[in-house]
Amino acid sequence: MEGRSLSGSLQARDLTFSLHGRAILRAVSLAASPGEFIGLLGVNGAGKSTLLDILAGLRAPDSGTVMLDEMPLDSIPARQRARWISHLPQGIRGDLPFSVEQIVLMGRYPHAGAWMETRDDLAAVGGALELTDCLAFRHRRFSTLSGGERQRVLLAACLAQRAKVLLMDEPSTYLDLRHQILCFELLRAEAARGAVCVAVTHDLNLALSHCTRIVVLHDGQVEHDMPTGEAWRHPTWFLRFSERLRVERSWDGAPWVAYR
Amino acid sequence: MGGLPMTISGNTKWLGFSLAAFLVSLVLLPWAGPAPVSLERVLSLQPPDYPIFLELRLSRTLLGLLVGGSLSLAGALFQAMLRDSLATPYTLGVSSGASLGAILSITAGLPSMMGLPAVWLGALGGAAAVLALVAGVSSQQGQLSSYRLLLTGISLNGVCSAMILMIHSVAREHRSISITQWLLGNIDSIRYPALGGFAAVAVPVSWILISRARQWNLLMVGEAWAATRGVDPSALMRTGFLGGSLLTATAIALSGPIGFVGLIVPHLVRSRISPDYRLLMPCSFLLGGVLLAVADAIGRVVLAPAELPAGAIMALLGGPYLVWLVRRRF
Repeated sequence: MEGRSLSGSLQARDLTFSLHGRAILRAVSLAASPGEFIGLLGVNGAGKSTLLDILAGLRAPDSGTVMLDEMPLDSIPARQRARWISHLPQGIRGDLPFSVEQIVLMGRYPHAGAWMETRDDLAAVGGALELTDCLAFRHRRFSTLSGGERQRVLLAACLAQRAKVLLMDEPSTYLDLRHQILCFELLRAEAARGAVCVAVTHDLNLALSHCTRIVVLHDGQVEHDMPTGEAWRHPTWFLRFSERLRVERSWDGAPWVAYR
Repeated sequence: MGGLPMTISGNTKWLGFSLAAFLVSLVLLPWAGPAPVSLERVLSLQPPDYPIFLELRLSRTLLGLLVGGSLSLAGALFQAMLRDSLATPYTLGVSSGASLGAILSITAGLPSMMGLPAVWLGALGGAAAVLALVAGVSSQQGQLSSYRLLLTGISLNGVCSAMILMIHSVAREHRSISITQWLLGNIDSIRYPALGGFAAVAVPVSWILISRARQWNLLMVGEAWAATRGVDPSALMRTGFLGGSLLTATAIALSGPIGFVGLIVPHLVRSRISPDYRLLMPCSFLLGGVLLAVADAIGRVVLAPAELPAGAIMALLGGPYLVWLVRRRF
């Protein structure tokens, strides 16, 4: 299993999960192939983060399976799994003493030897810092950064991991508009290079303009699963989020979700 | 550092510095003490200088270096495991368990067993009992949660301290003095077989803990963060809990609960040298040893022939430093 390369197709079948007697996921199935960038939408408490955690191997489902390239996820050793799957958590503690570079270097843990990073690791870190626009504060302490800067550092750590599957829990939170767009462009580029990207987000316009597919989770079930083009044409699923949403045309004629 | 991201190699000079300080302490500190010892007589193995140097001063310096190193390393470890910058080797109750065991054996006037003083055995027994209790209470389906560890440890600390106070208040006067002395913590000369036994635990355990340095970095960020970067957090927590407790329990058994070294040294290294556990852990071990051995040397020189306990010197040095740190950082 060590040396083999991965096509990166991810398949979840009939996942159920409950916590303290409350059903969070009820028979969720989701298949994602390389090249896809899935926008995972849903109102608060719909089960998005739990689904992402299960796909990342952080939680075991009560029933159902997750397969990565026909391999059961729980049969893959942790280190190997981390070379294939990267997960961006919904924020981490902010008072860490580590420098920005040290945090991003942590993404290289599954690749590097036991003790030291190699030249390849450093190159991956430098590249990720540049992509996420973090080079200017690469030597600063993580705890001295703003919320948006921290979020970009975490994103850089995930990119430095060079995984085939990127599971991002609200990657654009705290980011200013320019960096929200940058973040989704980065993920789309990763998908175009053959990765599988799944991003939880509440920004319908970002999702609709960058993702290849939209999955709407509601009350622990997949309510909609459609290519982005279809999501534009049949916007009834918007009502799940707010009755005030409409599809308008922006100045260049492209569709745009607005609220009134 | 230049254009490349920071790597451990950029800072190895600190590791060299710490190692040099450790070795210099080992060579120089045995000469400090109430009675002058002549180099010439030591080298020609003449009494009384040679036995004083070898049996009293050198063994004592070695003990200080090892105990200080073990406690600092355990402190750095628990700060990562509990994700709490104020965690010390004593946060999980090991020290109060050891103290309670030691004090019970002092009060009962137990004789030594198998050539080992009863106080050591009492301390080890007490530490083991508390650890088993903490591990049992805070594990859920084989998983140790740092939150539960912290709360259970603090509660048991309180219970043991209360029992120590009660025993202390009913103990006879001469026993009460030995209890107070034990609780202050002290470095004393020690026979080499006992020192060797301690080293046989402390050195391999420290090695195992330091070899997982990158994993402690990841765990310090969070358990989910570590897990999705390829670490098994529950196995790591078990290793850390067992290793850190072993280090702490054996160190305390020989020297009593010496405070502050396990708190200030990791903080000092973290802010002055590096928060990367690959440097933080070995430097904490080496510099923690130096600090305690120096505190002990100061204690036996300043009011000679009277001796001040190293634990008290350490608290006198450590308290103000901690206040300064708190003012600067929080």
